[in-house]
Order: sequence, then C-alpha cells, then structure tokens
Amino acid sequence: SSVQSGQNRNAILVSHRQKGNPLLKYIRNVRWVFADVVCDYLLGPNSCALYLSVRYHLLHPDYLYFRIRELQKNFKLRVILCHVDVEDVVKPLQEVTRTAMLHDCTLLCAWSLEECGRYLETIKVYENKPADILQGQTDTDYLSRLSHALTTVRHVNKTDVVTLGSTFGSLSNIMDASMEDLARCPGIGERKVKRLYDTFHEPFKHDV
Amino acid sequence: MVQFHEHIISDLLEEEPNSKNNGGLVILSSGLALHKLISSLLTLHSSSQGTLLILNSNPSQRSSIIQSLELQNFSNLPLEITSELSQNHRHSLYTSSSAFFITSRILIVDLLNSKVPTSLIAGIIILNAHNLTETCTESFIVRIFRGLNKVAYVRAFSDKPNGMVSGFGKTQRIMKCLFMRKLHLWPRFQVYVSQDLEKDPPVVIDVRVGMSGYMKGIQKAVIEAMDACLKELKKSNKVDVDDLTVENSLFKSFDEIVRRQLDPIWHVLGKKTKQLVMDLKTLRKLLDYLVRYDAVTYLKYLDTLRVSEGVRSIWIFADSSHKIFEFAKKRVYRLVQANGEKLTVPNKSVGNKKKKAKEDNSNEKEETNTTSGVVIEEVLEEAPKWKVLREILEEIEEERQKQAMPQEGKDITDYADDDNGIVLVACKDERSCMQLEDFVTKGARQVMRDEWEKYLRDKTGLHGLQARQGKKPRNPKGVGILDGKVPVMSRENVGASSVSKLEHDALLAAASCIKNLSKDETVAIGDDPQPQGGSKGRGKGKGKGKSKESQGNTKVSPSKEISTRITRKRKSTMSNVDNESGRSESNTVDSEVSREETEKSGTVNKGALRIHEEEVNAAEFAHVKPLPIVHFFALDSDQHILDILKPTRIIVYHPDMTFVREVEVYKAENPLMKLKIYFLFYEDSTEVQKFEASIRRENSAFESLIRQKSLMMFPLDQDGHCVGPTTSIEPQGLTSQNSLTRKAGGRKEAEKVMQVIVDMREFMSSLPNVLHQKGLQIIPVTLDVGDYVLSPLICVERKSISDLFQSFASGRLYTQVETMVRYYRMPVLLIEFSQDKSFSFQSASDIGDDVTPTSIISKLSLLVMHFPRLRLVWSRNLYATAEIFASLKSNQDEPDLEKAMRVGVPSEEGIIADDVRAETYNTSAVEFLRRLPGVTDSNYRALIDGCKSLAELALLPIDKLAELMGGQKAARTLRDFLDAKFPTMP
Repeated sequence: SSVQSGQNRNAILVSHRQKGNPLLKYIRNVRWVFADVVCDYLLGPNSCALYLSVRYHLLHPDYLYFRIRELQKNFKLRVILCHVDVEDVVKPLQEVTRTAMLHDCTLLCAWSLEECGRYLETIKVYENKPADILQGQTDTDYLSRLSHALTTVRHVNKTDVVTLGSTFGSLSNIMDASMEDLARCPGIGERKVKRLYDTFHEPFKHDV
Repeated sequence: MVQFHEHIISDLLEEEPNSKNNGGLVILSSGLALHKLISSLLTLHSSSQGTLLILNSNPSQRSSIIQSLELQNFSNLPLEITSELSQNHRHSLYTSSSAFFITSRILIVDLLNSKVPTSLIAGIIILNAHNLTETCTESFIVRIFRGLNKVAYVRAFSDKPNGMVSGFGKTQRIMKCLFMRKLHLWPRFQVYVSQDLEKDPPVVIDVRVGMSGYMKGIQKAVIEAMDACLKELKKSNKVDVDDLTVENSLFKSFDEIVRRQLDPIWHVLGKKTKQLVMDLKTLRKLLDYLVRYDAVTYLKYLDTLRVSEGVRSIWIFADSSHKIFEFAKKRVYRLVQANGEKLTVPNKSVGNKKKKAKEDNSNEKEETNTTSGVVIEEVLEEAPKWKVLREILEEIEEERQKQAMPQEGKDITDYADDDNGIVLVACKDERSCMQLEDFVTKGARQVMRDEWEKYLRDKTGLHGLQARQGKKPRNPKGVGILDGKVPVMSRENVGASSVSKLEHDALLAAASCIKNLSKDETVAIGDDPQPQGGSKGRGKGKGKGKSKESQGNTKVSPSKEISTRITRKRKSTMSNVDNESGRSESNTVDSEVSREETEKSGTVNKGALRIHEEEVNAAEFAHVKPLPIVHFFALDSDQHILDILKPTRIIVYHPDMTFVREVEVYKAENPLMKLKIYFLFYEDSTEVQKFEASIRRENSAFESLIRQKSLMMFPLDQDGHCVGPTTSIEPQGLTSQNSLTRKAGGRKEAEKVMQVIVDMREFMSSLPNVLHQKGLQIIPVTLDVGDYVLSPLICVERKSISDLFQSFASGRLYTQVETMVRYYRMPVLLIEFSQDKSFSFQSASDIGDDVTPTSIISKLSLLVMHFPRLRLVWSRNLYATAEIFASLKSNQDEPDLEKAMRVGVPSEEGIIADDVRAETYNTSAVEFLRRLPGVTDSNYRALIDGCKSLAELALLPIDKLAELMGGQKAARTLRDFLDAKFPTMP
C-alpha cells in the first residue's frame, strides 16, 4: 500500500538478518521497520549500511566480502559500520579497511552499540541536510570570530583574545601593535608576543 | 671557560677518533652555561674534520652561542641553513667543512633526496635532547645518517634534567634511537661542578619582603581554591593521588603529570574533571601573576578571566574565588558615596585597611564625581617589592660613592675594571622590566596612575580613540557609551542589588573624565614639546633629553634587543665621576635610553589637578637619593647578558634557579670580581616555595638518572656499533613485516621499493619516520592537495584527533576533502589516534540522547554523505598507519611525482616548474587570513599576492581590498571585521 511505503520512506529499513541485534535498541530518534532488503540497513534511496562486529569478523573473515558483493552497484553511499568490540584491533581493522577500500565502501568505526545506532540515526535524519555546518563558522558573534582567527597563533587562548581585544580595541589595531605594546598585556609572555608579532609582520610568503 | 666545562669536553672527546662508540648524551643542570659548552666545542672544530651540523636549536640558543663565540673573538661563526636557501646553496654549504645550525626538516628532506654528502660530515650535535622522542625527525635523521656514515660523531645535549625523566625509561629510549651508548651526567652537585662554583662564591643578601594584607589574602584564597580543585580531582578516582600536591601544582609540569595519567582515559572523563584540570592551570597562573603584576594589571587580568572563562570554570564560583576578586579590587579602588561616606560592601576588613594605610601613606585619594552618587576612590596599592628595590638601589649607590672616595687617589682605571658600577635587575618577563624601569624613573605613584588610566580606558572601551581619530569615519556598532557621556541609566533598579551597576557607572564616569583630560593633554603637548624642559636641570641627561614621542620610537624599534633596557639616573654632581670611571658600556651604548630624572610622560591631569600632581612629585623626589645605572633583564628572553654587561651588583627581583646558576658560573669565571647578589623574596609566599621546590625537583631528577644509568643496556652489532631501535619497540605487526624491514636504514635499490610522496609539512610529524622504518621510500615535496600520495589513484589527508576536531570546526577539512575528491579517484581521510590516548572519540555515556549538529558523529556522517567517494581509514597509531599504507599500496602503481606536484596548483600562468613550488609560507599568517570573515578559498591567494603581511592588510583601504578580493561585498565584510570595536567588558 502507498500509505505504508510513504511512511517507510522516513524509516530505516532493517534487514531480517539483523533480528536480535541489540543495536536496534539504540535507534530511537528515527523509526525503523523490518523489510526485505539486501543490505543490513537501508538508510535512503541511495545509501545503505552493513553492520560488522570486529569479533564476528575474526571468526568469519570472508563474511564482509560476500556481503559487499551482494550489494552490487546500486548505492552511492555504502557504509560499513564497524563495531570495534575487541581489544587487539589493529590487524582485523586493517583487513576491514582494505576490503572496504577495494570495494568502494565507506568505513565508519564505532566503539559502542549506542554509537553504532547514532550513526545510523544521523545518516537518516540528515538525509537532506546541506553541508554548511562543515564549512566552518558555527558561531557568528564577534568574539567567537575573533577567537577563531587569533587562536591560529599557537598557544594563544581565549583569555588572551579578550586581553588583546580590550587593550587594543579592534583587530586592525592588534595586527598593527608593536612588540612592546603586545608585551605589556597581562598573560602574554615573551613567546606569545613573538609568535603574534611574527604572524602579523612576517611576509605571507618568502620567495626562495 | 670554567673548569668543569673542560672536564665535560675531555670526557666527550676521550672516545675519539674513530672509536666505535662515537657519541654520547650529556645532561647537565640548568643554568650551567650550555651555550658556552657548545661554543667551546665549536672552537675545537677544525675544518679538516668536515662539516658540523647543529640540530634542534632554538633561536635564543643560537644567538647566545654566537654571542659567546664573538666574545672569544672566534671568526668562523656558524650560519643557519633553512628552507629559505636554495638547494644548490645548501649543497655548497654541506661541503664547506664549517659548522652550521640547521632545521631538522630541511636536513631530513635533503638526506632523503640524497643531497647531503654524508661522508663529508664530521658530526652532528643535537640540542634540547629532552624534546626528542623515538619517532621524532632527529632520530630519523640519525638513523639515515648512521646508515651512510658510521664514523662521524653524534652528540646530544640537554640542560633540562626534569624533561629527561618524564615517561618510562625515556633517556634510554632516546639514546637507543640516536645509536648512543654513553650517558654523561653533570648535576650541580657533581664534585667538579660544586668545587668550581663554590670556590669563590658571591656575596648573597637575602631580602624578605612582606606581602600586603590583600596579597596574602589573595594567595590564601587561590591556594584554597587549588586545594579544593585537587580534592575534587582526587575524588574522581581517576588519578594517582601521590603526585597531586599543592606544591607540585605550582609547576607547569604538573599539567603534564595529570595529562599523562588522564590522557588514556580522557574520553571517559566527565566535563567536570576536565574543567578541574583547566582550572588548576588558571589558578597556577593567578599565583604567579600575583607576585609579578601590579595591583591594577592583576585586576585587569582577573576581569579578562571572568569574561573568557566565567561560564565554564568551576573555581570561579567557589567561595574562595569570591575573595580573590574582592581583594584584588580593593587593592585598586573602593566605592564611596559622593558625600564621602563609605559604601557598605560586605567582607570589608577594617584591619586590612588600617594596615594598608600605614604601609603606604603616599596613597593618593582622588574623588571623581559621578551622576549616580557613587564615586570611585583610588587605592592603587603599590607592589611591596618596589619600595625595597628602591632602597637597595640607593644603598648600592651610597656604598659605591663611599668606595669611590678613598680610591680617588688610586688609578681610576684599576677601579673601573673591578667595579663598573653596573647594577642588573633580573625579573621574569619583559613586562616587569618595562614597568620597573618606569618605576625607577617616574616613581611608583605615576606608574600606578598610568596603569589605572589604562585600565579605565580598556574597561570602558574608550581606548584608541586618539589614535584613530579622523581616520575612522564610521561609527562602530554596538557601543554608544563613547565620548564620556555617562549612559542614561534606568533608575528603576538602584536597589541594593545594583551595587555593581553603580560601580560600573562610576568606573565609566572616571574613565570619561580621564579621556577628556587626555584630549586636552594632547593639545598641550603640541604647544610645548618639552613641558618639563627648564623646570629642573639635572645632569647631562638634560642634553639628550628627548620628547616623549622620540623615546617611544627608540623603544619600539629594537625588536631583538628588546629585553636589554638601560636606564640612567643620576644627579649632576655624579656625572663627572661617571664619565671618568670609564665604564664599559661601549657595546650597549646604542640601545641606551637616557632620560631626565623627573620626566613625566603622559600625565593626564590638567589645571588644578596638574599642579597638585607636580607638588606631590616634587615632594616625592625631594628625598630621592641618587641611584646607580640600572639594567633590567627579562629572564624569559633566554639571553645571557652577564658576560656583556659585567654587572657587579645583581638584584634578583624574581628568583629563578637557572639564573642563580648562571650567576654562579659568571662568578666562577671572574673570581676576582666583588659580586654582590640581592634576592628579593616575598615572605611566606609560593614564590619561595616554588624556588626551593625547583632545586629539589632537579636533584631528584638527577638521582633518578644516575639510577637509570647504572641499569642501562645497549645491544651492539658485530662491528661494535650501537644498534638502534629494533622492531621490539613497535607494538604491533611482528608478522609480515620482516620481509619489508630488511631495507630499513639503507637506501639500497632493491628490486622494487615502495614509494610514498610526502608533503614537506608532514615532516613535523613522526609518520614519515615510521614509514621509512617500514621500508617505504619517502619522497618529500610540497603538495597542494593531500598529505601523502600512495599511488596515482590514492591520496591521503592525515588528521590526528585534535586536528580532526579543529579542522572540522574551521571548515578546512571540508575544502581539503573537496579538492581531494576533485583530483583523485580514491581520496582518503586518515583518522589517526595516538597510542597513549584512547582509541575512540567518546564513551557511550557521552553520546547523549539526540542527534546534535556539534557532535563528531554528526559531522563525520555529513561528510561521508556529501562525499560518498571519500574513504575513511581509522588507525590505532602511527605504526598501524604504516601497515595500512603498505597494504593499500600492494596492488597499486607507484605514485607519479610530477603529477602529484601539479595537482591543485592554479595554472593560469602555465608554469609549474619546480621552483614555483619552492615558496615557503608564513603558515600561521596564511591560516589566520583564511579565518577572517570575507576571506574565501578563492580570494585568499590574491590577498597574499597583493599585500605583504597581515600588518599591511590591516591598513589597506576598502577599495584596494575590493580590487584584490574581487568584490565590494567581501571587502566590506573584511574591513568591517578588522575595524569592529571590541565590545567592552561587563
């Protein structure tokens, strides 16, 4: 029925294979339903996920490869959600990484079932979300922006930003300040003075 | 040279030449003149031996080594080899058989490109051995170098023994990776050292200065707060409590102790525990600044803290921290009703007040009227050490005069040799130097007033107006309290709770008063450039007396010598004696700043107030006794000026163990000099505690090193050479790797060597070293896209965990991935964890109930959704990364160097020759620029090309910006941000 499929569009479709996976308990922010799907979790029209516990992988090293092969090329985003549930992880993780790479899959690691569940939820919830939160500038107020810029200079902290701002009044005044004026600021020691001054006064590039 | 230096050198040289164990690690106590030791080694270097390379030196070490060579008239001074020299030039230097300072990054790149004629290298000296690790670039260098040259020596030095014992078996591990067997320990308590230094010890006078009541109160409150934080931290049961003492927490290394324990479990710690660690750091600074800063600056720092940390900090809400703020404020001002009555403020301690009044009766009380009916009464407590400093200086001068009298008949030059009358005041930082200098010239009250005026201006955002007047047409947003108009405050909440509001108003009023005065002042100075000119003729200072502005210039320009500041102060009667005594100031005369005694710069009082001020000044100076020449020296500058200035009186204003040792060495080198040292300690202060603890800590570090030395074992190969790090240091991967490691260390051509192209900047990290250990060939170049190119298809952007969070926040990761995806078929984001930290982002309990945009999970999810072709690689540590790289490369072609270098470089000019890529960037400036509003990936290159530096950018007019940035809108955004007025502090 169309009503049902409409509802299912907003839900994660879970393969019957995942029945009994305690991870399902942690998918709470979106709806999920069992369905006949070839992947473990169908997250959208073009994205899907396979769940892999490292412990399981150690017992069945070929499992992942066969599951990926089943997927064929139907999805743009093919996530392998790797639950890191053993201590000695380097070697198995290397194998998983290699398999994922060679077969065009994106590997996401999670260290708890909660985290696994959260990845699935997030990918579903953010299905149509633009990437702007990745493009920097989450805070747009003046002080955050000023800190954002000034803290590129090593060891300059938020307190120093306030000190510099209140002492010099504006960013252009800070950038134009003499070494001595910088040194007079409380909390700004010799090395910070030098770093700040060099950042502002050394040329952007030295031609060789 | 002191004798024990000769011992150290002969110990080192003993093994040579051509011995099998050519090299060693020397650890000596701090302050034992390591720079002189190195310069002695350099004078012993002869060009017949070959080229000598000095690695891992910092700028101050380089300058002090060169300085001590110059003092010995040694002509062949070592040059610096940096990336700014061309490759051919570098090559000619490598073959020149002299000594050089070189940056490790350049040396490793040249070694990997086979551009270093290793057989012509006589040896390598590595400084700051305490900074080395098993995988650092220096150990990479030594490993490659040892593979090619087995006879040259490699010597490492450290004068930070504490740094050599942090971490398990650190010294032995470092020695192993440098292929060294010999450890030379030279603590201060070593027989030769102590004999040398204690033969003719200087006269030491220990002056204990009492702190003011408020200072004691603040110290007590800070310690209480620290104690509370420590107790909380212990409660968390996450740290070993033995090391958590208030004494330990006075040191920077305390953070290290705590972090080392907490790092592996950092992700499971609650926010509170993390904040406690931060708070302890802040509190430590507060203790330190209490004895370093004047009362006003201290208050300003506290205000700043409240703004920047207020919300997060735990300590700020503690009971004791209330006292910190309260006392700090009372040292500066108090609130009084306009009619003279005191405003009742809780916690007022009458006892303290009385005591204070007794201590400095010179406190000026000025009342400033405000509309609100409450006025600020200045207290402006002076630092108790100031008075004592003046007394000591007077005493020294008196003594000198007495001595000079009977010697009048004797040969005057004789006397000058012995005592040039120079007094050195050593304090912690440049700031204290400047302030003490002001104090000596202007008097305590003037210094305090200047600070107070600055405070008021900063506090109320009234600064910089004179500077930018006329230049700034636009009215900045958000601030309407300009021009001294007290804002129309709503009268509705003048209740008891609004004391702070009243206070703020009163401060504003005081500030506006000052601002208006200073405007007038500017005019006054314009009319009469030397307002004090004829008032008091004093000595020859008058002749040179310059107006305030020109002095400002002299002081700003010498950025290098900024820490050696010289002030002269004397009466006319003294000047003859001074001239005749032929003081040895020829080498410092350039930077000398001479002043008139009563010069009074930047006074902001007018009319009646000014007269009042003059009177007070006159009164103050009436009883002033002559003072000697005083040099101020900042310990933080890491320079060594004792040998240049040759002072005979040293006042240690801020006690410091390293400096004390330097003085001891200086005395030992000049046994005939009559050297007198004054120590100024605040009694019962953490200053004393810290000084004593630093000596104890160093001693125990040496004891531990001596124990370790007796147990050290080093494997040897058949030729008797030390065998460096073996595969056993690699925690993983014992299996398939043997076949790959056989080529490690050598660059012999095997049938097929796996190659990796590595961006130059990555040589700051250890991964290239580990990849090389694994048998991969490293090709260093400058890459525009990605950090590592594994094959024509695979390009890797590597992020450590902190990098990952940072570059997500800045938006940089997004653009990096975007370009990688554009140019490579298999773009890879490598997320590399650190072995000593946990392998996970967060604990399950930190994940929270909702999907939040700030979570790392959300960001990673969005990233992979927007770039489905991006491959993520999760690596436990460096070694695991190397394994993964090798495994990913196994069925791929080798990368194409030419192509990799061309990727992403704008090619409109069509020239992508090798030298175009040889530019080096001021990376922090470029990064800074890219974070400014209006600056984007598409316009930042034009800005870099169009103006020289950020300082220049700050002054560019908007039209020019628009031209460079290709649009008015972006230019306007940038210009607005640059000129935006910093909001005033609440």
